[in-house]
Amino acid sequence: MLETRYDKEFEALAKYYEKSGGDVSKLLDKRVVSIIVSGNQIIGRNTVPGVKIESEEIENGVKIYLEIEDNVSIENPIHLCTGYLKPEGVQVVLIDTKIGKNSKAEFLSHCVFPRGKKFTHRMISNIEIGENSSLSYEDVHFHSEDGGVTVEAIYNARLSKNAKYDNTFHLTKTRVGKLKVNMNVDLGEYASAYIESKVYEKKDDVVEIIETLNLNGQHSSGIAKTVVFSTDESSAKIINKAYGNAPYSKGHIECNEIVKGENVRVGTIPELYVKDEKAELTHEASIGRINSKQLETLMAKGLGEEEATELIIRGMLK
Amino acid sequence: MLELIDIKLERENRKVLKGISAKFEDRKIYAILGNNGVGKSTLAYIIMGLESYRDHEGEIIFDGKKINEKSVSERAKLGITLVWQEPARFEGLTVKEYLTLGSKKRFSEMELLEALRIVGLSGDYLYRFADNSLSGGERKRIELASILLLNPKFVVLDEPDSGIDIISTNMIEEVLRKLKNAGATLLVITHREEIAKMADEAYLMCDGEFLESGTVDKIIEFYKSHCDNCNHINKPEEGELSVRNKVR
Ligand SMILES: Nc1ncnc2c1ncn2[C@@H]1O[C@H](COP(=O)(O)OP(=O)(O)OP(=O)(O)O)[C@@H](O)[C@H]1O
Ligand SMILES: [Mg+2]
Repeated sequence: MLETRYDKEFEALAKYYEKSGGDVSKLLDKRVVSIIVSGNQIIGRNTVPGVKIESEEIENGVKIYLEIEDNVSIENPIHLCTGYLKPEGVQVVLIDTKIGKNSKAEFLSHCVFPRGKKFTHRMISNIEIGENSSLSYEDVHFHSEDGGVTVEAIYNARLSKNAKYDNTFHLTKTRVGKLKVNMNVDLGEYASAYIESKVYEKKDDVVEIIETLNLNGQHSSGIAKTVVFSTDESSAKIINKAYGNAPYSKGHIECNEIVKGENVRVGTIPELYVKDEKAELTHEASIGRINSKQLETLMAKGLGEEEATELIIRGMLK
Repeated sequence: MLELIDIKLERENRKVLKGISAKFEDRKIYAILGNNGVGKSTLAYIIMGLESYRDHEGEIIFDGKKINEKSVSERAKLGITLVWQEPARFEGLTVKEYLTLGSKKRFSEMELLEALRIVGLSGDYLYRFADNSLSGGERKRIELASILLLNPKFVVLDEPDSGIDIISTNMIEEVLRKLKNAGATLLVITHREEIAKMADEAYLMCDGEFLESGTVDKIIEFYKSHCDNCNHINKPEEGELSVRNKVR
């Protein structure tokens, strides 16, 4: 549970955690697995039967090992809160997650860097999902409005036979700063994955996202999707890839970039590779202004152009 | 009152609208009949002021003021609105949120349910998304419900019946009646006789023109004799029927 010597720090963090959409009561609930990282320390943690958590401090950060045993279905989502409240510095978070066979878990992760001016957060999450198990991982970021936050997030997931994986990354409530996301999934037989990134960038924010599906097992299937709304002078480069390496594997990649403003610079590259003739891969991509019919439908109800745009974008990024 | 004076529009060197003039008086229902591709939707978009149709010629006068320069939002604020032939879909927006858009009033759940009931939908729809998960007919019904709640002064309905099953024609009639009773003027584009019959006056559109206007019965009669088995396909001066010669 929460270590009392960190009460003050937790209180400060909790405020932003709520702003980013988190529910603080969950972090204090004994029935909920939680890990709270502030700066370079773990300031609170809780676990339940079937879930083993270990951690160690490393240079500029923490390393966490999380293991879920076989045949365990975790009722409440596992809550991760990673915060950094100082304006400058580096934070490294390494998380190794292993989930056994026939188990099920959900993660709700919030990363809050509300005061970052010259701050870098590096995260590497390695996930192994056992046979017939399923894991969903939802990552929500909340950055400073200064634009001085740099985030480099890498997610590697390996799915055994018949495993299921869902990974979403959302950074839509605040400015981005500089962002690099790399999601990589290796899928075994009959495994399925859905990975998604949604980002709303402003001013001179820079975004680079690479999503890769390695469909290695027969009958494996995956979807990789990115939605970016780029405004002002922001830039984005999105690469979605799928490798159809096994018979009857099926992959779909999709990227929608909506632009607003004359100085945005955005691009997307879809990459599809097939090694087995029985694999089936598709892609869909669009870059452009917001759909005029949607916009004018809302305007015909009396909404102003800005208000209508905001509503459409908020919906798409939800 | 909304008045159209000599509305013309060209696209790719083709005259899509060739000079449309009409006066739509308050609290009346007007119907526009005409075959596919004659320019009905185009006229609807011009009245609403859609950005890519603002290059038309002619004037649009609403309540005594020229509104040519007004944007879609500005026209909507004056009380003009449009029901699209195929309404747009919105990801992440619930039907409940969609229904209350643009209205200054805060609606009670009861009022929302009543609007859904009129268009033949259950309350469960409030919490569904107004996205691709709705069928074409369901989406159209939701559009009609949203217009009922919007309380507009002038509504262009572009084929409110398209995508809606024949057995629900009564529902559309009820929506039109309710809008009219609430004080709206309606311009209804339709291919369905029962819907057209509700109008006080009707227009027959062919090749970008109003060829004929008058009572609904007269226009339906005209449509049946000239357009039902039209053999000139949008060229009123050609072919056996030579519609224009018969009219003028
Ligand atoms: N941007 C454009 N460029 C070229 N032609 C266009 C354009 N927009 C409309 N048209 C043409 O103008 C004509 C009128 O189209 P409109 O959609 O108004 O027809 P409509 O009467 O509503 O038909 P329907 O009953 O099928 O809905 C059509 O022939 C269409 O192809
Ligand atoms: Mg039409």
